[in-house]
Amino acid sequence: MTAILEVRNLVKEFPGVKALQGVDLDVVEGEVHCLLGPNGAGKSTLIKCVSGAIEPTAGEILFMGEPLPQGDPAGSLKRGVATIYQELDLVPDLSVAESIFLAHEPRHWPLLDLDKMYRASEALLARLGHESIPVRAKVGKLRPAAQQIVSIARALSGDVRLLIMDEPSAILDEGEISTLFEVVRRLTAEGVGVVYISHRLDEIRRIGDRVTVLADGRTAATGIPATTPTDRLVELMVGRKVEQLYPDRPVGTDRVLLQVRDARRLPAVRGVSLQVRAGEVVGLGGLVGSGRTELLRLIYGLDPLDDGEIVLEGKPLKAGHPRAAIRRGLGLAPEDRKSQALVLDWSETKNVTIADLGRFSRVLLDIKKERETARKELRALKTVPDDPDRVVRLLSGGNQQKVVLARWLLRQCRVLLLDEPTRGVDVATKAEIYRIISELAASGLGVLVVSSELEELAHICTRVLVMREGEIVAEVDGKDATERALLRHAVAPTDAPDLVEEVV
Amino acid sequence: MTDTAQTWRGALGRAKTLEFQEYALAIVVVLLFVAGAILKPDTFPTWDNIRNMLTQSSVVGVLAIGMTFVIATAGIDLSVGSMVAAAGVFGGIMVGTDGTSSLVFILAAILFATFLGTCNATAIAYGRVVPFIATLAMFSIARGLALLLNDKLPVSLLDLNGGSFGDPRPFSLLWFGVGRIFGIPVSVFVFLAIAILGWVVLNRTRYGRYVIAVGGNREAARIAGVPVRRIIFSVYVLSGFLAGISTVLLCARLGSASPVSGNLYELDAIGAVVIGGTSLAGGRASIVGTFLGVLTFALIFSLMTQLNMSTEIQQVTKGLIVLGAVLLQRPEARY
Amino acid sequence: MSRKRLLISVAAGLVLAIGATACMSDEETSTTTVTVGETTAAEGGSGESVSIIASVPPTDHGWLGAISKDAQAAAEKHDDVEFELLQAADADSQAQQIEQAISQKPDVLVVLPQDGAALTPVAQKAERAGIRVVNVDRLFTAPDAATATILGDNYQIGVLAANYIADELKCQGNVVEIQGLAGISVTTDRTKGFTDTIRQKCPGGGLKIVASQPGDFNPDKGLTVMENILQAQSDIDAVYTHDDDMAQGVVQAIRNAGRDDEMFLTGVGGSQDAMQQIKEGGLYRATFLYNPNMAASAVNMARLIGLDEGFSELVPPEVPRQVVVPAAVVTKDNVEEYEQYAFD
Repeated sequence: MTAILEVRNLVKEFPGVKALQGVDLDVVEGEVHCLLGPNGAGKSTLIKCVSGAIEPTAGEILFMGEPLPQGDPAGSLKRGVATIYQELDLVPDLSVAESIFLAHEPRHWPLLDLDKMYRASEALLARLGHESIPVRAKVGKLRPAAQQIVSIARALSGDVRLLIMDEPSAILDEGEISTLFEVVRRLTAEGVGVVYISHRLDEIRRIGDRVTVLADGRTAATGIPATTPTDRLVELMVGRKVEQLYPDRPVGTDRVLLQVRDARRLPAVRGVSLQVRAGEVVGLGGLVGSGRTELLRLIYGLDPLDDGEIVLEGKPLKAGHPRAAIRRGLGLAPEDRKSQALVLDWSETKNVTIADLGRFSRVLLDIKKERETARKELRALKTVPDDPDRVVRLLSGGNQQKVVLARWLLRQCRVLLLDEPTRGVDVATKAEIYRIISELAASGLGVLVVSSELEELAHICTRVLVMREGEIVAEVDGKDATERALLRHAVAPTDAPDLVEEVV
Repeated sequence: MTDTAQTWRGALGRAKTLEFQEYALAIVVVLLFVAGAILKPDTFPTWDNIRNMLTQSSVVGVLAIGMTFVIATAGIDLSVGSMVAAAGVFGGIMVGTDGTSSLVFILAAILFATFLGTCNATAIAYGRVVPFIATLAMFSIARGLALLLNDKLPVSLLDLNGGSFGDPRPFSLLWFGVGRIFGIPVSVFVFLAIAILGWVVLNRTRYGRYVIAVGGNREAARIAGVPVRRIIFSVYVLSGFLAGISTVLLCARLGSASPVSGNLYELDAIGAVVIGGTSLAGGRASIVGTFLGVLTFALIFSLMTQLNMSTEIQQVTKGLIVLGAVLLQRPEARY
Repeated sequence: MSRKRLLISVAAGLVLAIGATACMSDEETSTTTVTVGETTAAEGGSGESVSIIASVPPTDHGWLGAISKDAQAAAEKHDDVEFELLQAADADSQAQQIEQAISQKPDVLVVLPQDGAALTPVAQKAERAGIRVVNVDRLFTAPDAATATILGDNYQIGVLAANYIADELKCQGNVVEIQGLAGISVTTDRTKGFTDTIRQKCPGGGLKIVASQPGDFNPDKGLTVMENILQAQSDIDAVYTHDDDMAQGVVQAIRNAGRDDEMFLTGVGGSQDAMQQIKEGGLYRATFLYNPNMAASAVNMARLIGLDEGFSELVPPEVPRQVVVPAAVVTKDNVEEYEQYAFD
């Protein structure tokens, strides 16, 4: 087995921060090497050094046995290092073929050689086993998984020896992840080395060969087999033993807080009824596109109801008015924290207090009281760093989520709607968020959690509801819930993966 | 928790980045003043000229404060200059030729400008017209109204003050133009009062916080329970209201209301806001920066006129100074 | 050698309509004889009605407003004139309007261009299409763009103002010039006539132009510019402004500064406000009439061209190429005679 990439004692210092303090990593031909570590451990910095986006302070990077030019992205790319980032960097209005060959289009000078571009794109997609993706379709029309594959095809349009994938599964659902893994296996069979970053430990066992764990800018372990037990991996990441990833399952009371009666908004939500009781954590599982997020939006009043009713503590809620919902005690932590929950240029304080400024406002805002109150809420959630003036843009995903949770705790909401609360959150922080959710329920709140990670739903919920095609198709008691059982309900028997959305 | 330590850590990501910008623009203002003092030592650094520059700043300055709120929500108001003209002429015809009541003019002008601003606000907040287009339409409509209302003629307002230029009666129109309190022109007091009030509202009230939240992330603001539409509505009404105040300050000094006045004031106002560090993308606003931006323009104009520079050189110089002022600030936000 | 000066001297001779003067300009242009036959042939000779379309810039300014009103009034005096007035917002839309007007096939187009150079091509097009063009006030840049031209003399306005101020100050003192909009010929000519004459008339240099800044024909710009100049100049004896409307702002700046006894001011245009203030005496001492009647003259001229009458009522048998309307000095002594021409 030939080594493709050897990273030796890599150091990267930013002003005031040592992001990498001597990291080692080696990737051999045909393997999937997983990179694990909590947010801020230096994973991004490491891959940026390899892809040439930034220049390391010290240490060496050998590629195919030769030193890789440092801080030269074009040079890295030319030698065969391709990177696919978590946020898809595709232009929705370009066609598949145009996206694959963006910035290196084949040309009959001065015209584009469209024929060649289409043929080459088809060949690339066939190599990935996805010749069914139409090369002339607009990228925006594709499902996220298909977009991911287009990204990979784009990376492969050059001669790739090493493919770096940064959380590629974050936006994919179960079926789509399987598709992605098949593609990855095809590539490794061709001898390509893959560096795979993920927060999801289950994935690592499914796809990975070896694992490198980073913690605080150092290699906590490198080249260990992917079969290493989860507890051990978590321990390496966190630097201590995590007692328990999942807290005790909360037991609900009989008092119904939230009632949804036959809520309908076509095409996404087709008549949903559910109840959330005080003290309960109710999970809402299903595949991406099954209508879970849309249902939360309806409950919260972000979209108008076509039909049905939302009842809060026995009284109907004025539909379509989030302000009314908040006044009545609802809170929402949306799916996409950056675009839907936070003002990124604001401090933690301002982001926490925005939903409840009235309590600091006579004529003027009591800035001091505001800051102290926010600090108290943030501390209760162990937000890091302990600095209410810190701009939230610079926080890790987990801490950003804590800021959003602190907002609704301050507001003393009674029913909390959480949409993918642990997306992009590292394992250690995930455990904290599970604990927070559990404690909130114990204090009498009703919590409704949407998640694509069926395993976490299976562990933290009192009950799990499974949605498919806009309807609730199953209710599973928490004690009986397993990932496999939930998945079986979520995927209809005849559900063949169709990667292109129907053109409306 | 010493303040200095906090400010310095600001560079490392604390929510205090505006401070450096305001500081940088203050340096520009000082540099311009020093340049004036060197080039025109007898006439530039005089109390009289400072008073003159502040007075001149007041008209566009009041507009710029309103513009800061509008731009903070990621909007724009291109119609303020035209609204100034329309409100002036409207006030003028309400007074009539033999009118003697300054109050009628002042109220009529402010109400009319507020009305026009409300039209903008309705189109944008409830008609969902893009602010650029809605206010571009008002830019044209208000200018047209200014010409239409009095058959393209200016209205003389000298009679409002009995034509006297001695000691104006407090709260007469003339008083707003040439009156002084403790040697400081009334219009400067008005501008300063509005700037200070603007600062307080933007930085120390729930309303101000909401304004920035809407500009910073509209969807997040909505989910957090900010009444987004009402906030957007309000800033255009505010901009119209302040255009009315600006009209009073201008017409008081001019002694007439001209349908061609206020030409391109919107660009000066937007320019002052932007070099002051308020982001055109919304979510970041600085009243202090706007104030300094307005001063920068007034200093440039005064200095260049005093030096009797030719128009073409003035335009090139003004452009270079504006560019330089922006380059001197926050390097990360230039693009 | 200046063509302008030549024009002025010749212009003094002939009288057109209301005190306007017609003249032949230099040989080069006057040799281009108007072949009126083409136009009238289509209309079937004189005695028929004449269709005239006039195109003017936006009339948001006192003088331009008066121009269009006078043109309308002049057209209404003649039963045989079908008249249409078009106003355009800018040079582009004016060009479009004229394009459309060409397709209506009027006999004569009267054009006061927003920008002479920009509208020259479309005027040439009209001429080639057999439509006669009468160019008013702002000159086209090609000789074949118009059959006849009628213009006020901006250079002469500068000359008259310089003479007046030099005489009043006896060539001793400081003068401030508040110009119009920078970069257009009206402003350039008014400035040039003024500075040339001051230099000639007061060779000793006793009369100094201490500041010269644009006020954009806009009262509020005039106000702020004058405020700054007042700061810089402690001793001003006279202010020459390029426009009566704008001058109101300048007047206000001087009065607000309480320096109205120190200096006097002159305007251009002949607005009612200005004449009123001249009559009252004080700061506003004189204005120079840039007679809006040139529009009426242009319509009359267009009618004659359309009727193939040339200037038969007058001296030359064909329509002259260029008519210059002279400027007049209005002061307290003669303001009453001129008040009838005032516009508001």
